[in-house]
Amino acid sequence: MVTNEDVQRFITAIKMASTYDFSDYSERSFKRRVEKLLIDNHMDINQLSLKISKDKFFLEKVVRDITVNTTELFRDSDMWITLKHQILPKLKKNKSIFIWHAGCSSGQEIYSMLILLHELGMFEQAKVFATDINSEMLESSKAGVYKYRFNLGYLDNFDKVIKENPLNFEETKDVPYEKYFDIDKVKDTIKMKEFLREKVVFRKHDLVNDGNIFYSKFDLVLCRNVIIYFNNKLQNHVIELFNNSLYRDGYLVLGAHESILGPVSNNFDRTKGFYKKKQF
Amino acid sequence: MDYKAVIIGGSAGSFQVITKIIASLPENYSLPVILCLHRLKHVRSGFVEALSIKSKMPILEPNDKDPIKAGKIYLAPANYHMYVELGNRFTLSTEDVVNHSRPSIDLSFSSASYNYKRKLVGIILSGANKDGALGLKAVNDSGGLTIVQDPSDCQVPTMTQAAISATEVDHVYNTRKIIEFLLNLDS
Ligand SMILES: C[S@@+](CC[C@H](N)C(=O)[O-])C[C@H]1O[C@@H](n2cnc3c(N)ncnc32)[C@H](O)[C@@H]1O
Repeated sequence: MVTNEDVQRFITAIKMASTYDFSDYSERSFKRRVEKLLIDNHMDINQLSLKISKDKFFLEKVVRDITVNTTELFRDSDMWITLKHQILPKLKKNKSIFIWHAGCSSGQEIYSMLILLHELGMFEQAKVFATDINSEMLESSKAGVYKYRFNLGYLDNFDKVIKENPLNFEETKDVPYEKYFDIDKVKDTIKMKEFLREKVVFRKHDLVNDGNIFYSKFDLVLCRNVIIYFNNKLQNHVIELFNNSLYRDGYLVLGAHESILGPVSNNFDRTKGFYKKKQF
Repeated sequence: MDYKAVIIGGSAGSFQVITKIIASLPENYSLPVILCLHRLKHVRSGFVEALSIKSKMPILEPNDKDPIKAGKIYLAPANYHMYVELGNRFTLSTEDVVNHSRPSIDLSFSSASYNYKRKLVGIILSGANKDGALGLKAVNDSGGLTIVQDPSDCQVPTMTQAAISATEVDHVYNTRKIIEFLLNLDS
């Protein structure tokens, strides 16, 4: 059993060896991640802390394993359908549209966005930025290759968002998958097309320590299923950052079961999972 | 006996039992009722609506960090683990399945027992796997009260049997007795 003191020692060991600070992550789920880490590495907390202090590569691997990276193409399809019908059309008149995916994990969320933008004829005007705390996740995002058989649900989601629910009734679309990705059943892969992959600017970015590292504000910030791992204090800090990084009338998109609590929520109008920055 | 919360775990065969239980609870029940139920993979929505038909208490799928309040029923959202955090709030997580399940009853129960200690009532209902057994043990180890639906009253007894062998439970009750017990808790 991992005690609270063990978790504190682990957090301290990481702080001493790097800039990462997990002090304000949600306690219960973080503790469980530490337990899992110890089991998977066959170590106790002392051995783990020692290795973290000596081995940078190991430390990066620990950061990857301690964070939760689950994601999907068009995860939570209702959100994407709302985006398609209600949010993106409002931005279409803009000359350029700045989009930030914060906590992009292995990139499925970014490619979902790019595909949708392309279908709506908004691909050229979009400037897409993506960040994550973990460099390995950024590498997988850039590669844009996913397992095929394990992820058949991606295709269902694609159908729901892209093929079904058309914008108007004349439109009956059969969008072939190959327009956006190649499926190789032998290699068991789905690989995103190059024109999508090269569209994105990737940067390593830690929501705990870093501010807006791009010389721009944003029309859309997506940060889904990231702040559930943060406590209230850190959540507020991050929402504040997004508030400052959005254009007026820009939207913050959170995960299906996330919301803004506390005073910062007054800066936004909420419809479904979309938070629109108010005019003041 | 001043309990602070009731937590109920169920899986295959528990839907009818749960429906009966929540139909019996009064509108202003004096405790929060936390439900962690396994769902079929494809039944992602409509579950709250189905449960709400018979319920006098409001049923909510909480958002992350939502406060836990008396008089409400909280249902773990599909595809998220639901933890009870110190300070009486929920935390959600999408980490890997535990016991093939997300939500995992073990995780919800253990975290709730950590927050409520002696002041928690944990109930395990019908189900086809072993999720919940360690969770109920955690409730017992922190001094909370443990109840298991009588395996002979269950459509699928695996989960309740696993719970009974994992820990010394306080009561083995059929559905009617569980309801009676919960109504007696109401103040
Ligand atoms: C569950 S994934 C979410 C992926 C995607 N947004 C989605 O909803 O499908 C969470 C991601 O947040 C990242 N993350 C965790 N802590 C972070 C931090 N402090 N700064 C930036 N990213 C962080 C993790 O590395 C992980 O890739």
